[in-house]
Amino acid sequence: MTRRQYVLGWVTIIVFSTIFIVPFIFIFLTSVKTVSQAAALDFSWPAEWHFWANLVEVVQTRNYMLLLAYFNSTVITVGAVTLLVILGAMVGYVVQRRPSGWNKVIYAGVLAGLIIPPAVVPTIWVLQGLGLFKTLHGMILIQVAYGLAFSVLLFRSFIASVPRDLDEAALIDGAKPWQIFYRVILPLLKPVTVTLIVVQSVAIFNDFTNPLYYLPGKDNVTVQLTLFNFQSQFQSQFNLLFMNILLVTIPPLVVFIFFNRQIVAGMTAGAVKG
Amino acid sequence: MAGLVLQDVRKSYGGLEVIKGITLVIEDRQFMVFVGPSGCGKSTLLRMIAGLEEVTSGSIDIGGRDVTHADPSARGIAMVFQSYALYPHMTVRDNIGFGLSLAKLPKAEIAAKVATAAATLQLEHLLDRKPKALSGGQRQRVAIGRAIVRDPQVFLFDEPLSNLDAALRAQMRLELTDLHASLDATMIYVTHDQVEAMTMADKIVVLNAGQIEQVGSPMDLYRTPQTPFVAGFIGSPKMNLFTGDLARDRNCDMYGIRPEHIDLSLTDGMWQGTVRYLERLGPDAVVYLTVAGLGDLVVRSEGEIALSPGDTAFATPQAVREHRFRGNARV
Repeated sequence: MTRRQYVLGWVTIIVFSTIFIVPFIFIFLTSVKTVSQAAALDFSWPAEWHFWANLVEVVQTRNYMLLLAYFNSTVITVGAVTLLVILGAMVGYVVQRRPSGWNKVIYAGVLAGLIIPPAVVPTIWVLQGLGLFKTLHGMILIQVAYGLAFSVLLFRSFIASVPRDLDEAALIDGAKPWQIFYRVILPLLKPVTVTLIVVQSVAIFNDFTNPLYYLPGKDNVTVQLTLFNFQSQFQSQFNLLFMNILLVTIPPLVVFIFFNRQIVAGMTAGAVKG
Repeated sequence: MAGLVLQDVRKSYGGLEVIKGITLVIEDRQFMVFVGPSGCGKSTLLRMIAGLEEVTSGSIDIGGRDVTHADPSARGIAMVFQSYALYPHMTVRDNIGFGLSLAKLPKAEIAAKVATAAATLQLEHLLDRKPKALSGGQRQRVAIGRAIVRDPQVFLFDEPLSNLDAALRAQMRLELTDLHASLDATMIYVTHDQVEAMTMADKIVVLNAGQIEQVGSPMDLYRTPQTPFVAGFIGSPKMNLFTGDLARDRNCDMYGIRPEHIDLSLTDGMWQGTVRYLERLGPDAVVYLTVAGLGDLVVRSEGEIALSPGDTAFATPQAVREHRFRGNARV
């Protein structure tokens, strides 16, 4: 390694740890402070450590609202990601493997799903008309609708790297189309499936605006909406707010660290013949 | 086991006809090789027999049963792909038994059949490995094993040896020939490699531009090619083919003589030429001569011949080994 590369490497590490780690340290330090010290919002060492007290208070606030929020967010995330994987893989497979006149129409739909911004009020009308407004399954369908285009594109391009010979070998072996998909193709999509699960579950779990619009009501609260408990126009408790942030950040972080290796594999898979 | 009959089989993509009416009888237990240059339609024809491509018109019979529009799995065929097409996420055992498990056979029966196939192909010690942990030759054997367990009426091979190195290819040729003998099965084998065609086939079908040029035993095609295309395609180095005055003098449109049927002399002969290039292969040498009024002439001579580029040599064709064509047919 030349001296230049060495210096450049260290500069990069320092810059990125500043961008990613310093805010996290700030969150952690503020979350263990007292109300008055936290109100200063400065980068200082806590005078008193209130980690456990703050944590208990955040969890207990408004009759254990955070726990309900964890439950709701988990239901929405698991439901939506499951549907995204199954539907995305199936649509991607059919679009990639069976060229037809409809493909252009399907592509137009998929691209529209990526490009056209969602209109909130008409969507709420539709949800109300279907009796899905203010329900968790309505929220799941919304997340599926928003994520499906990306999911289809991701699966389609990955399936293109799976040799068609495998489909044909299975066909000759006597597999029905659904058996070819579930027993031969789907198991090979594991890298891209893991990528999709991580990317989408982090996005859906952390989603703030969509639950705010489509899922009002005290019983329907999701984790990001619990942040409102500690911040209002006239009073903010920054220590509790940051403790809350810390708590809702941990699950996606764990998912990310756990699957990190596979995500990279999924993103580069098919790039070279292997 | 069963024979196979193709009756005026055609295939078009849009307005482009790629298989132009093929009628062919493949006898029971025959090792039939389809050979031809890239794009001649040999793989398409094989895929039509397999049911992977629709037949535009014509009919395909396997074992006396019309299977023109039958599902691939209902045709009684098994296919070995050029890429092997092994399922990467399954072990060798599961790869070989996949078709049987789809047919919902009892587990014990599947295990027994897989074990028999593995023993035939010497794969017993590899049964729990995944395809990525196998060498090219081993993968090829697994692909063949997957075909054997289906107990098909007809085996189809689509250029199965083209991904192997030369030494392994020679060995697999031998193994496939042995396999044909031991299974006593009808086999159809597609290749662009004429060495594979010559060494393995009972009968060869030479295809060109979607049509059959000639059907015959390997030595038939070598001795009496019926068209200039077959004459040029079978044999290596290629047959010398001449048109023009030389052909007219010999009462034909095209005159052909194989490099190994030309006698080379340093002193006298019919054609005098200059050695342009020399390929010494060991047992024999391929000499490229430039002959005035004739052009390039390729001659196979004995390996130790005392010639080098720039030397003068004399070539004389062996009279009984000459080939003459008029129009597109042998005379």
